[in-house]
Amino acid sequence: MFGYVRPHRDELRMREYDRYHAAYCGVCRTLGREYGFFPRFLVNYDMTFLYLLLASVEAAKPNARCRCPAKLGCVKKDCVDDEALLGYVAAVDVILCRHKLLDNIQDSGFFKGLAYRLAALLISGGYRRAKKRLPDFDRITEQRLAALQALEGEQSSSIDRTADAFASILEHCADLYDDPALRRPFGQLLYHVGRFIYLVDALDDLAEDCKTGNYNPLRFRFTPEEGRLRPEDQTYLGELLEGSINLAGAALALLPLKTDSDLLENIIYLGLPAVRKAVEAGSFHQQAKI
Amino acid sequence: MRDPYEVLGVKRSDSDSEIKRAYHELVKKYHPDNYADNPLADLASEKMKEINQAYDDVVKERQASASASNSSQSANANPGYNYSYQPGSGSSHYSYYTNASSGQYPQIRAYINNGQLDAAASMLAGINERSAEWYFLAGEIAYRRGWLDEARQNYQTACSMAPGNMEYRRAMTVVGGGYTPYRQINYGGSNDLDTACNVCNTLLCLNCLCSGGGCR
Repeated sequence: MFGYVRPHRDELRMREYDRYHAAYCGVCRTLGREYGFFPRFLVNYDMTFLYLLLASVEAAKPNARCRCPAKLGCVKKDCVDDEALLGYVAAVDVILCRHKLLDNIQDSGFFKGLAYRLAALLISGGYRRAKKRLPDFDRITEQRLAALQALEGEQSSSIDRTADAFASILEHCADLYDDPALRRPFGQLLYHVGRFIYLVDALDDLAEDCKTGNYNPLRFRFTPEEGRLRPEDQTYLGELLEGSINLAGAALALLPLKTDSDLLENIIYLGLPAVRKAVEAGSFHQQAKI
Repeated sequence: MRDPYEVLGVKRSDSDSEIKRAYHELVKKYHPDNYADNPLADLASEKMKEINQAYDDVVKERQASASASNSSQSANANPGYNYSYQPGSGSSHYSYYTNASSGQYPQIRAYINNGQLDAAASMLAGINERSAEWYFLAGEIAYRRGWLDEARQNYQTACSMAPGNMEYRRAMTVVGGGYTPYRQINYGGSNDLDTACNVCNTLLCLNCLCSGGGCR
């Protein structure tokens, strides 16, 4: 959805790089196959992570070859072939993006809102199918985002509560596993990754939100000057984000990982801190693709 | 019952010192200090028990085979097995509260330890007189929910109200990132065996540093 959860490229081994790309292509192909042409554009790094994470406690599925419409001549590439789990992740992606778009429509002016409306319309067919597949997840996403909007409405200064509304949506993906020995670590990991996404996104948008006057929890929790946090607040927020990364890492260590343990450790221990630093420095959007 | 060699992530052909090193790495990773106040502490302590048991089994097996073959190496078959962590000792240490707390606080602490955070929070909200312990417990609830900002502010208040309290200070160290959990991401891998002790030393030093200024 946002692309904040990604591996640290410099530290990736080639086999991890290939595996990551195969997972990315797998998510993309599944979105296209099950939810239609336009939802295919919703493929992103965060959902690739979600797939790799949820798949990590099983033996790795073999790769297939698929045509990539984004490449000239639709060349064939390796992609993960794991219909059940990829279908789940794709449905989660479509549902999250649809609700995010509705949220954006409310937050933005007429012309920008029009673009979001169009996007929401284009994925509406896919959304209906995704909702049919995961009705509980759709309901919970709607509830939590409504709670988030209520907090935004009262201009809450609690970054914990606003982040909680978003993080608990991702936490819910852990319910895929019934066994508490898996569900609890998955839940804590996803909660803190979600919290990280929300807070880093808030930090990333802070300058613009200060200009436009849109709600941003950091505006009310701290007192930014000219769209930037004061250095001591920046440090404090950085420590909170590190705290979330540590709690996510502690949860990851308790999962009986069968595949991709190095890749997942790269994402949590190297990728997330690198993203935090890039966002703090304002250089996140100049980063290279993975 | 899993194969003890598999639990330790080693091969049967590995030497005693390699196995000992793997064991130390795992102990560092799942040390109770890394899971202090973490809602997953029970899973980590189970994991620790499994690791200790596996190491125990491997050492015994090797001792037995060494004495059976009656080789000259039997004298050092025991690879310095004096590093055993008492399983679960850390977590029970942390749930042991030293304060003589009164009124409803013991009940709230029991709720927190059982993971009944909503019950603990509503009971806490009913107490009007806000002592240092009140703020500490509010911090504990927030931390277990993953609400790190609220946790930190409450711990801070508790610490400044009762600067001498070690329990509050320890919580502050944990939430403030006083130490970070052990990470095994360096591909070379260090074999610095007493790092676990260094963690404790760092913690002690931090406490000394803190004593002047109320935790921060």
